[in-house]
Amino acid sequence: MYIGVDVGGTCTDAVLLDKGQVKATAKVPTRADLLSSLLEALDVIMKGTPAELIKRVVLSTTMITNLIAERKFDPVGLILIPGPGLNHDYYRYDTDTHIISGVIDYRGREIVALNEAEVDLAIDKLAVAGYKKVAVVGKFSMRNNAHENHVASVIKGKYPGWQVEIGHKVAGQLNFPRRVVSAMLTCATRDKYEFFVDSVLTALDQRGIKTSVFILKADGGTLPLATSKEVPIETIYSGPAASTLGVQALIPPGETAVVVDIGGTTTDLALILSGQPLLARKGAKVYDQRTQVRALAVKSVPVGGDSVVERAGKEIIVYSERLGSPYCLGGPMPTPTDALRVMGLTNLGDIDKAREAMNLLGDPLGIRPVEVAARIIELVVETITNEIDQMYIRWEKNPAYRVWEVLQKKKVRPKTIVGVGGNAPGFVSQIAARMGCYPVIPPYFMVANAIGAAVSRPTLQVNLRADTERGIYSIQEEGYQGTIKDRHFNEEKALSLAKEWLARRSEKYGLQDDLGEVEVTRKEVFNMVRDWVTSGKLIDISVQTKRGILHYIGTGVNCSGD
Amino acid sequence: MGIKKTGLIFFPAFDWAISPTHPEREERLLYTRDQIFEEGVVDLPEIEEFSPRLATIHDIARTHFCIPRVQSQVTEAHLIASGAAMLLGDRIVSGELNNGFAMVRPPGHHAMRVVHGNRGFCNINNEAIMVEYLRRKHGIKKLAIVDSDVHHGDGTQEIFYHDPDVLFISFHQDGRTIFPGTGFTHELGGPNAYAKTINIPLPPGTTDETFHYVLDHLIMPILNDFKPDFLINSAGQDNHYTDPLGSMLFTAQGYADFTRKLNPHMAVLEGGYAIETALPYLNLAILMALAGQDYSYVREPDYRPGMFKERPEKVEQVHKMVESLLDVWAKKDEFDREKLFGSGKFYQRKKNIYYDTDYIEEEQLEKVRQCDQCPGYMIIESGANRGYGALIRVLAVSIPFTACPDCQTEAYEVYEQGKIEKKQFDYIYMQDKSTDTYLAYERNKDQEWVSEGPKPEV
Repeated sequence: MYIGVDVGGTCTDAVLLDKGQVKATAKVPTRADLLSSLLEALDVIMKGTPAELIKRVVLSTTMITNLIAERKFDPVGLILIPGPGLNHDYYRYDTDTHIISGVIDYRGREIVALNEAEVDLAIDKLAVAGYKKVAVVGKFSMRNNAHENHVASVIKGKYPGWQVEIGHKVAGQLNFPRRVVSAMLTCATRDKYEFFVDSVLTALDQRGIKTSVFILKADGGTLPLATSKEVPIETIYSGPAASTLGVQALIPPGETAVVVDIGGTTTDLALILSGQPLLARKGAKVYDQRTQVRALAVKSVPVGGDSVVERAGKEIIVYSERLGSPYCLGGPMPTPTDALRVMGLTNLGDIDKAREAMNLLGDPLGIRPVEVAARIIELVVETITNEIDQMYIRWEKNPAYRVWEVLQKKKVRPKTIVGVGGNAPGFVSQIAARMGCYPVIPPYFMVANAIGAAVSRPTLQVNLRADTERGIYSIQEEGYQGTIKDRHFNEEKALSLAKEWLARRSEKYGLQDDLGEVEVTRKEVFNMVRDWVTSGKLIDISVQTKRGILHYIGTGVNCSGD
Repeated sequence: MGIKKTGLIFFPAFDWAISPTHPEREERLLYTRDQIFEEGVVDLPEIEEFSPRLATIHDIARTHFCIPRVQSQVTEAHLIASGAAMLLGDRIVSGELNNGFAMVRPPGHHAMRVVHGNRGFCNINNEAIMVEYLRRKHGIKKLAIVDSDVHHGDGTQEIFYHDPDVLFISFHQDGRTIFPGTGFTHELGGPNAYAKTINIPLPPGTTDETFHYVLDHLIMPILNDFKPDFLINSAGQDNHYTDPLGSMLFTAQGYADFTRKLNPHMAVLEGGYAIETALPYLNLAILMALAGQDYSYVREPDYRPGMFKERPEKVEQVHKMVESLLDVWAKKDEFDREKLFGSGKFYQRKKNIYYDTDYIEEEQLEKVRQCDQCPGYMIIESGANRGYGALIRVLAVSIPFTACPDCQTEAYEVYEQGKIEKKQFDYIYMQDKSTDTYLAYERNKDQEWVSEGPKPEV
């Protein structure tokens, strides 16, 4: 049996799955102590089920998102090695930032060496300022990590107790500023996250759950919980990823659909294209800080069932804030949920209170409660449909760098709108009607996120880059740099080398049984020509374990070998 | 209202090459991609990246006579490169973007009006296609193109040689020392567009200093006088000191300063084949200059200040040329038309055009109507030998956007007559920009086509 738990902003949801059937669900309010909410939900669904039957537990949590939002961490000092390019004034962060000399170019060649005196000075200044956490990040460090490693080793030599993060290990994609942010946030959250992970593992252990525990990542893949300590920020936005996977599991395989997850304060939008959730082209943005974290393309719209509704002059306005529960549930202000109650689209709360809320808004304008309610619902539906349109436009604007990519760009418009989350039924049919689509409210829509967590599967990636002219290759995820001895090294050999590393990585994480089919997600081979003669090849290869989900719910379809 | 952005279309055509070892190959913008992506400049609020779209066959026919048909001269990569420039042009004209950079390949500035094949790595002219599109779609009146490639932009020059509304300025390495061997100061445009073509041949070894002297004292004053509604930079980057094909000594900073001063609406990438030592830095610096960002930290790895010196006599030569071209510009409306172009109904010139990439030799007779009412229609007779004996002969008629009724009527007569009487021509073309109609007649099949398919029987 499989367990999925999603610790969300307002609610913590859990499900127990057995062979694609939902055996138990739970929904409890999320309290400040995330762990206690998690365990409460877990205890509800586990009632009557022996712990030995649990094969796997997958969590998704707002833990890291909350940490970053509330800035509940020690300051992180920065040592940056940007070299030429943008003016160094661009690299201003809300912390002490020391910029030192040293240049690595796009092929990983050292152009300017580090200056040891500058390295020492930067470290000393951070020490004087009281920093104990440092992120060291260089431009093109994934092509050559010598500079980053050297600075880190000097720090370790001087201050063995400091926590040091190096850029290429955290964020190996091209984009230096995002690498800085990713490294800084990793450094900031790591110890608190470690504490959280250990507490969860201990608590599960006490309940007799000895099986493997995973955590969901923003891209919809999972990592063993213990391993995730290395990359805490990969777990941001796992909530929206969870609901998207949940929808993937709840609709027929291969379907194309828009996912609308309407919660209390926000509505998350995502796309499933031919059965696969769409990945964002760029890394996730956390409170205006751009990271390199790979994430599903999810758009959060600040409107939900608990959004405050007010009257301004003759206008009725839906605000993005939440000031508590809906009026009909004893809250202070009218909300869209009250409107739904008046229209009979939900059974939540007290009908008289809901009417009263509509009267508060409508009386001064001489409008009847039903009309007020209709207008509020209309506003919410309009906001969401506009955002769905914007999402399509952004998706179509995604740059293409190859002829075939431009040619295959088609204007795919999903025909299905799938609503999940507590407030979905009241809105989704109208959203779909306006977009000319079919509305779908799947069974278990209330706990689709927990289902998504339960059916998610481990994903591991390996990005290999080989430069045969220089006779070197690197494995981004491992920060490994090796040499190529084989004179006839080519694309085929690069691919098997990448697969080898993927297998090695799976073993390292205890996932060898999950390796299964390997997907090649990127393969770029460039002939390097110098003086009209081919002098070498640049080979970029990305391989990953198969993306997807373990089960489709209620269909009896089992998608993997297990 | 947000800030007005710089639009970027980066289309490196990672799956298109002329041949595997050709300078115009997949690898060309690879390191540029690495540099631009690693800098993270696309995340800056001042820069927005777009996906390219395809130009249509119709858009190509508005500018070129492709022999025998557009489809036989262009690949999808060409349509994407041209389409990218058009897309950014649209958004700049509409006011959505402040300016734009089409960082695209394949390049285009050697492609002339008649296209028998590939010359100078170019099949179709991205800038010219954009210019004609902007005039047609948005009614833009006056445009200027400044070509900063080391090679003379002979294709662009040829297309607009008789067009008084498009000012073409090219500075480049002296044609006596480099392909295509043209671009001398006496090439100044046809009778109806005199001094709307300005060529500034610079001696090999010219540095940033002289380059900027020319910019400040010649190019900018002329542009300020002409006042184009839309300004384009054909942003070739092979004047760089590390370029393998050129012999000039410009730097990334020199190019970026140029971009900042010129302040074009659009930059369109042309040549530049120092793919490792120049392109990553130049493209980054130009993009940042367009976006109004500080590019002073962009440096080539081996650059040291003061590493280039010019011979004073060469500098003196350039200064004199600037003087004389300024004089030409000042007196552009006083030239003796009869003395320069004769008094015949048509001004005509004979041209021999060599297609270096495809080894084609073309002989062309170009006639332009010396009209008082409009820029005059053109008749082109062209024959090209593809090396294996088959000589293809074509007759092409082109009507300008602002043609007078007489020229329109006469031009159609020439076209219709050609179909019936001029049996020596295998193909006959009509490019009527005034009504956006493009016709092609194939003698063998006795069939006429409009740009997008066969013309329905009447």
